[in-house]
Amino acid sequence: MSRLVKKSPSVCTDLPLDNADIYNKLSLLRQLLASCFGPTGRLKQVHNNIGGHVVTTSTSSVLFPAISSSQPLVNLIKTSIHNHVSRFSDCGLFAAGLCLSLIEHAQQSGLAANVSIRINKHLLGLCVSYLQREDCGCKVKLDFCSSQSLITLARSVISSKPACVLTEQEMLHISRLAVQAFLLTLPCNNPGIVMLGKTVSAYVEGHPVLNSAVFPGLLLDVTGDFCLNKEDNLNPSPLSVVVFSTSLAGDLCELGEGLIEVPAGVDSDLQILEQLLELGKQVVTDEVKLFACQKVIHPVLQQYLRSEGVIVIERLGAYLMEPLIQLTGAQPVATLHTSLPAKAYGEVSEISVRQFGSKTLLHLRPSGESAICTMVLCHRNETMLSELKVVCQKTEHVLRLTIRDPAALLGGGCTETHLAAYIRHKSNEVSEPAAVLGCSHSEYHLCMEGFCCSLESVAKALEHSGGNSLIDLTHAHHWTLPADMTKGDIEDSLGFCGCGLVGSSPSRKWTYINTKYTAFSPASLSVDPAVRPRVLDSFTAKLNALQVAVETANLALDVRYIIQDVN
Amino acid sequence: MLGCSVLNLRRHVGLQKLSALAAITHSSLGPNKKYKFIHDDSSGESALVCSCVRVLENLELTCAVGQLVYETLQAHQTVYNSGSGCLLFLAGAWSRAALECLHGGISVSHIISAMSEGIDVCAGVCRKSSISIEGLGEVQPENSTATVPHAVPQASNPPHGTGRCGDQVLNASGQRKIKLSRHFCESRCKNASAASQGKLINIAHVAEGLRHGCVDAMNLVLEVNQMQSQSNQDMNCDVFDITKVVTCVLPGLPEAHACVLAGCVVLLSAEQLSVVHHLQHQLLKVALIRGDLSHAFRHLGFSRPTGMQRVSDHSALESSGREEEWMAHVLALLLNLEVNLILVSGLASEKVIQRCCAHHILVVEKVKASALSAFAAATRGVPVTYATQLSKHCVGTGAKVAMWRDLSGTGRKSSAAVTISTSGNCSLVTVILTSCVQSKLQVLEDQFWACAYRLHHALKDRVVLPGAGLTEMLCVHRLQKQATRLCTERTADSEKSSSPYRSAVLHLMADGLIDYISTVMVNSGRVSKIRATAVVNQHVQDCNGHSDGAATFSKLFSEGDHEGGSFSDGAPDLNLKIYDNLSVKQEAWRKALDLVSLVLQTDAEIITGVESQENLMLL
Repeated sequence: MSRLVKKSPSVCTDLPLDNADIYNKLSLLRQLLASCFGPTGRLKQVHNNIGGHVVTTSTSSVLFPAISSSQPLVNLIKTSIHNHVSRFSDCGLFAAGLCLSLIEHAQQSGLAANVSIRINKHLLGLCVSYLQREDCGCKVKLDFCSSQSLITLARSVISSKPACVLTEQEMLHISRLAVQAFLLTLPCNNPGIVMLGKTVSAYVEGHPVLNSAVFPGLLLDVTGDFCLNKEDNLNPSPLSVVVFSTSLAGDLCELGEGLIEVPAGVDSDLQILEQLLELGKQVVTDEVKLFACQKVIHPVLQQYLRSEGVIVIERLGAYLMEPLIQLTGAQPVATLHTSLPAKAYGEVSEISVRQFGSKTLLHLRPSGESAICTMVLCHRNETMLSELKVVCQKTEHVLRLTIRDPAALLGGGCTETHLAAYIRHKSNEVSEPAAVLGCSHSEYHLCMEGFCCSLESVAKALEHSGGNSLIDLTHAHHWTLPADMTKGDIEDSLGFCGCGLVGSSPSRKWTYINTKYTAFSPASLSVDPAVRPRVLDSFTAKLNALQVAVETANLALDVRYIIQDVN
Repeated sequence: MLGCSVLNLRRHVGLQKLSALAAITHSSLGPNKKYKFIHDDSSGESALVCSCVRVLENLELTCAVGQLVYETLQAHQTVYNSGSGCLLFLAGAWSRAALECLHGGISVSHIISAMSEGIDVCAGVCRKSSISIEGLGEVQPENSTATVPHAVPQASNPPHGTGRCGDQVLNASGQRKIKLSRHFCESRCKNASAASQGKLINIAHVAEGLRHGCVDAMNLVLEVNQMQSQSNQDMNCDVFDITKVVTCVLPGLPEAHACVLAGCVVLLSAEQLSVVHHLQHQLLKVALIRGDLSHAFRHLGFSRPTGMQRVSDHSALESSGREEEWMAHVLALLLNLEVNLILVSGLASEKVIQRCCAHHILVVEKVKASALSAFAAATRGVPVTYATQLSKHCVGTGAKVAMWRDLSGTGRKSSAAVTISTSGNCSLVTVILTSCVQSKLQVLEDQFWACAYRLHHALKDRVVLPGAGLTEMLCVHRLQKQATRLCTERTADSEKSSSPYRSAVLHLMADGLIDYISTVMVNSGRVSKIRATAVVNQHVQDCNGHSDGAATFSKLFSEGDHEGGSFSDGAPDLNLKIYDNLSVKQEAWRKALDLVSLVLQTDAEIITGVESQENLMLL
């Protein structure tokens, strides 16, 4: 007999943003994420309620998967921003801060949601077209002739994550390595369609950061009972390689579900082992020097191959298969039931062993040109190493984005304040947008102020020690004044602006962020090649983050009802 | 559901937790460690612990900071096996320093950068005051009390001794050797003969300095070292291979029975003992098995087929029959290869052991992986996964078994301890640790390994640091000097707005180190905390005032001894010097600071999977 359980009715929330509980949760999320922002951002300890492993981080790509809420609206915003992060790696916290701040300002302004949405859209269009202009005041062209600006870009990403706990020198070292690895993945001599290579990472815990290094080729972790005969790696000719993607453990795992009937007296294990040894014999007669398998290799086969002088590597894992195949040109063998075709073999030019602390790594060098390189990252402890891992992946992605669009935006909050000043100026210049958008002039002005304040609040979020944020009234760059300084001694204590392009001078005038200033057209900087920005943000990532933030905010403002099935 | 607790910034809860955790282990610092009972009210179980790592192991740490501390300590312990107490103490002391800075309104980023400047200063001091172990303590036996205390202070004289300290010690001993060549012609000759290998190292002297109160444990370590260098003539005695040492604990025997034996010691049952008697005084052929020795065992990564069905005309051959078949096959193989001894890293089934016994084959299970590798190297055997894999070239030769001690009548399952060794140069050494008090065995084992690792790292680093708080004292002096310099510089140059903060942070870091030295002094007994702090401060003061820091430090050195500063032995012995490990100390300090800076920069915990809890903000 089945039991009937009464279904409880769905819960409907009308105008969710007017709900104090939901509003407070959004505001908590904003505080939580804003406090992580920038090089002096605060860290968060993420763990479960039963005392599991603790992750210390301030990176959005680690934080977002950990955050889940009982409120669908919070999850909607989180998912939207997380999606941006998984596509572009960078500017997740910027997008989240801007989006939540836009929602807050729109709610405080008391404007009708549809009006706010329309004006926000218009302002976004204004920003995007300005950022894409050649003469945009907060954009710099990346010069590929020198690695300097690439290193600056990499350094900005790495320095924005304090949980890596790096000194100045270490930061520079890692930035250089990131750029070096990026350059190694660019193929040089291939005409036609260019395929980018891959940076593989290996991690060593408990070693100084400065021991980190980048190598062309592939380094495989073979720590454990690995022995390489001295004469093997001295062989200069190309060494033949075979790569298996199937398990060579000698089991019947490939058969899947279903029943197998085996006559008594037949030892299936032994028969598979015979098959494996058959394979081993062929490999040995074909003079293969390196035998690699994604999964487990039967110990008897291993013993046989080693006794014949073949280097055996098992349990490579799916992650290393693709780069290994690219590097060697081998075709992965997915079965052990046929003989190996000659074209399945790949080759490497040299095999050597490298020692990093307790880890033994086998270094394979390509015989031809190959855009595979390996980055060995070392750090003192696990917590900091795992953050460094994430940051280096992020840096690699950001550097790759520069190929698509060789430009960068000024960092340190300068782009945000500059954009805000530009919008204020532009809105004063022409009065027609209000008419076109179907709203009154005061409505337009109120919403525009909210938009600009939201941008500025993101720049302000870079400061976490109670200092004040200022903008200068010529270039509209972002400046920070330490907490214990007053505006009186500004000139002494303000060295350079956030991005490092503008220096303080007696003629310069500043105002606090969030105070009204008469709109002005932010002046572009005269091009002085000697002065280079110290902080750069990824152009592609930030542009997309800006769009995602405004569109997500608009979507959240547009939500009228939330209907939840609580069964 | 997700909760989030915001830590109040001024009263940083994380730092308070860190300092509270560190406070638990204050008494396990220094050579005179106090035992602690950890009692579990719910289960009624209790543990006797003595070291900082063991304390934390036995506590259930559920808070995030506790987890972080535990992970850091474990990571340190697996590599260094000592210095964890120092790590945790300084993490606590420096987190208090950071708290005080926050109270004083210094921003987090200023604290972090100043503290990392401080640790660089300390690292610099360590580098400069390190003493090469080559030639160290060579002239010790005949030295008068007047000359020895000068050796170290001269070397580590902070104002002048920059970068030359290690050399100075070497030179000093070198000069003395020439001066006193009449008495030391023998040792000089020895030196000359060994000149090609570099200077001789007086291991006994270095070990004595590194024993930190564990006299018996260090004596065992020295014995191990001697045995290793004897069995391995080509190996220098100044390398200590920690991977070739295993410990074996035997409860019920008095502590004085602790000893060092060549080879590997295993406990066997009475039944197997008869095989041992049969095999004694023979050179044996040995098979090495990685994994279990049983019919059903399959290598790691092998997945058993789920839907396999056996079809048969007659149901005679059941699984027991298959096992029998396997057994017969393996036995025939073993007899054919004339194997007398099987070392198994995993378990061996009861049946296998019995059947092998009947054929005078000794099966030893649960052999440590490092021991297995050592036997493989010494007997030229090849470890295999399955017994059926064995072939002529896999079987090693030259193993020996011998009765060591009959344990029958002590009420234990195993009735005898047997040593397995090889005729060739197998440098594997077993240390037997004994105690009548069973719960003390762990402590003894920990002490042995701590001493072993200290010697290992000293020989690896080739340098040691002056111990007994001297290095810390030098660091305090340098930190305070740097802080004062920053203060005075500020008046001359107002641009550096952060220098007053840096000066304050460096002072507080130095206070943390003073706290460390005085706590060690207190733990050593006979001094109160106030007196200890006063003594340390006085010496640092003196050091600032006098240009001749050497005399002050030698005074401190002797006074520290006199008051039991570092010795449990009692009688002040001015000839005895105390050393610390350079790499261990530097790494422990660095990790302590890493902990503080991670916790300091954290302002919130994100807890996932929260049901509904008070004082948490729910998202």
